[in-house]
Amino acid sequence: MKRKIRIAIPSKGRLRQPSIKALQRAGINILEEERVYVSKTSDPRFEAIFVRAFDVPLYVQYGAVDLGITGHDLILEREADVHELLDLGFGKCQLVVAVPENSTIRSVKDISIVAKVATEFPNLSRRYFEGLGKQVEILRVRGTAELAPKLGLAEIIVDVSSTGETLRKNNLKVIATILDSTCRLACNKISFRTFESEIKEFLSRLKQGGLE
Amino acid sequence: MTFTKLHTPKGTRDYLTLEVEYYRYIEEGLREKFKLWGYQEIRSPTIEFVEALSTGVGSELVDSMFKFQDFDGKIVALRPEMTAPVARIITTRMPSTPEPIRLFYICNVFRYSQSYIERGREFWQAGVELIGCNTPEADGEILALLISSLKKIGLKEVRVDVGHASLLKDLLKATGLDEEKRAKLQNLLGYRDEARLEKFMDQNKIPPKLREIFLKLSSCRRLDEVSSVSLGSSKYGKTEDHLRKLLDVKDVLTDYGIENLVFFDFSLTRKIEYYTGIVFEASVPNFGLPLGGGGRYDDFIEKFGKVKIPAIGFALEIEKCLQALTAQGFQPQKREKIRILVASKFRSAAVKAVNAFHNAGVVALLDVTKSDEKKVLKYAELAGIDYVIFVDSTIEKPVIVYDPKSNVKKNVTIETFLQNLGGSSS
Repeated sequence: MKRKIRIAIPSKGRLRQPSIKALQRAGINILEEERVYVSKTSDPRFEAIFVRAFDVPLYVQYGAVDLGITGHDLILEREADVHELLDLGFGKCQLVVAVPENSTIRSVKDISIVAKVATEFPNLSRRYFEGLGKQVEILRVRGTAELAPKLGLAEIIVDVSSTGETLRKNNLKVIATILDSTCRLACNKISFRTFESEIKEFLSRLKQGGLE
Repeated sequence: MTFTKLHTPKGTRDYLTLEVEYYRYIEEGLREKFKLWGYQEIRSPTIEFVEALSTGVGSELVDSMFKFQDFDGKIVALRPEMTAPVARIITTRMPSTPEPIRLFYICNVFRYSQSYIERGREFWQAGVELIGCNTPEADGEILALLISSLKKIGLKEVRVDVGHASLLKDLLKATGLDEEKRAKLQNLLGYRDEARLEKFMDQNKIPPKLREIFLKLSSCRRLDEVSSVSLGSSKYGKTEDHLRKLLDVKDVLTDYGIENLVFFDFSLTRKIEYYTGIVFEASVPNFGLPLGGGGRYDDFIEKFGKVKIPAIGFALEIEKCLQALTAQGFQPQKREKIRILVASKFRSAAVKAVNAFHNAGVVALLDVTKSDEKKVLKYAELAGIDYVIFVDSTIEKPVIVYDPKSNVKKNVTIETFLQNLGGSSS
């Protein structure tokens, strides 16, 4: 008998609930949602693993899980070599460049060479600024990059924004968009070979369940 | 600094005895298999000129090389793979060797990874190259040898996925898209997201026939399924030849009886740029990374000389093979079954006894510590010695054989001991 197919779900944050719901609509209910890392599901062929959204691409690439739900932005940031089988539609957000409202920087063109950028996305940020020919110093932070300009750690932040609410609250304005992202169903390339029929059937149920 | 004195540079590591045993098990299994198929081993320098290593391999690999300046000012690098050195060797050292030439290597290669993942920067590869022939039979032999090699080291459920570098390239070119969009299309094929693939092709007005070919090839899983692709009146480069070749290779695989282990994957690409024909990857279920792969490179060797010499090869990563074996619950057997420690107050007799064991092909260590019996036994117990043998003044006299695990002591002659050993271990 084949082993269970492991699917990683964001363990917290805004992607967790919509991911669980998408699975439900595809007929897979998670049975032990609270405080576990590995959970059985109503479909005996699948088990759910709760992992930080940021780490999902890594788990998928290395085959620690077969499938994983996570943002396209995170897959790109992690440079994960995985299949992206389906755009799940939810988790819409943009990776944006933002500066304090009172900043003299009005567009990315105004960025001087000494500028410091605080971000959770050092890879995408570096590639973006290098693409523009801008030399910036990238400071990797975890969470709450919004704080960095307030305390003078950095003049600029690169962060995800879905409604723009958090940025506004922190008196930050968007000066550029690096990319648009949604949640994706990522798949390990070898798992896809091993479990293609099961995964395809799961995909069609996900599609039938209706995407948000 | 103490740190640099006690540790190894990032991405490098020590291999301790048990791990080296496992590596040796894999390497020797592969070496034996490669030789059985008529491949001959070569070695090349760890350091080569950058130009020799970077010709035709693509910028990603060039960027990953450890480069430095030689004393005479020339730029040299640690080899990041072995196909370029083989191409150089074929051109410069083996010009009149009858083709096809079958070569193999087992060596370490070095790559600097910019990724946030701390990958090994030194790793071990075992690979083969079949040079001077581009028939489907040559492709088939390489795929068959790949599967046979992985089975030989004990891997189960091995499968190989095959793509075709020029088929993909010619069809991408036929779209008429610019390079950036072609790369995007190639990415989408790799994502295996049909909905987005179709959307992209609609948005970019890919002609219906070509669109159909892309979707059809993406859904093919067996090599012979590509026969259902109809090209219509257009040529799309040499697409017809590429498809024909895949079908011919399939026929060869059938003769080897491995057609059900080899699959088609239109989107499969390798990171190195020199491939022109089939490209492939080997994997096993329950291990998420490919074990290795390779492909056909018919335009590569001529970059070193003037003659066009077609070739095909593969490389396996020893580390990945070991991890996959572990994932399958396979424990490579320890080859040295029994270790004997020989001790005596009479050095001349002890040395003679050790020689006698060595001549009989038994692993024997001489006690060089001059310790008392108690200390010798303690060491034997801790060091995993199977038998301690206390030799009297001559080796003709019976010896005391002590088994540290069971605490059993016996008086026997060396001859009898060896006979019993032969009987019990065979």
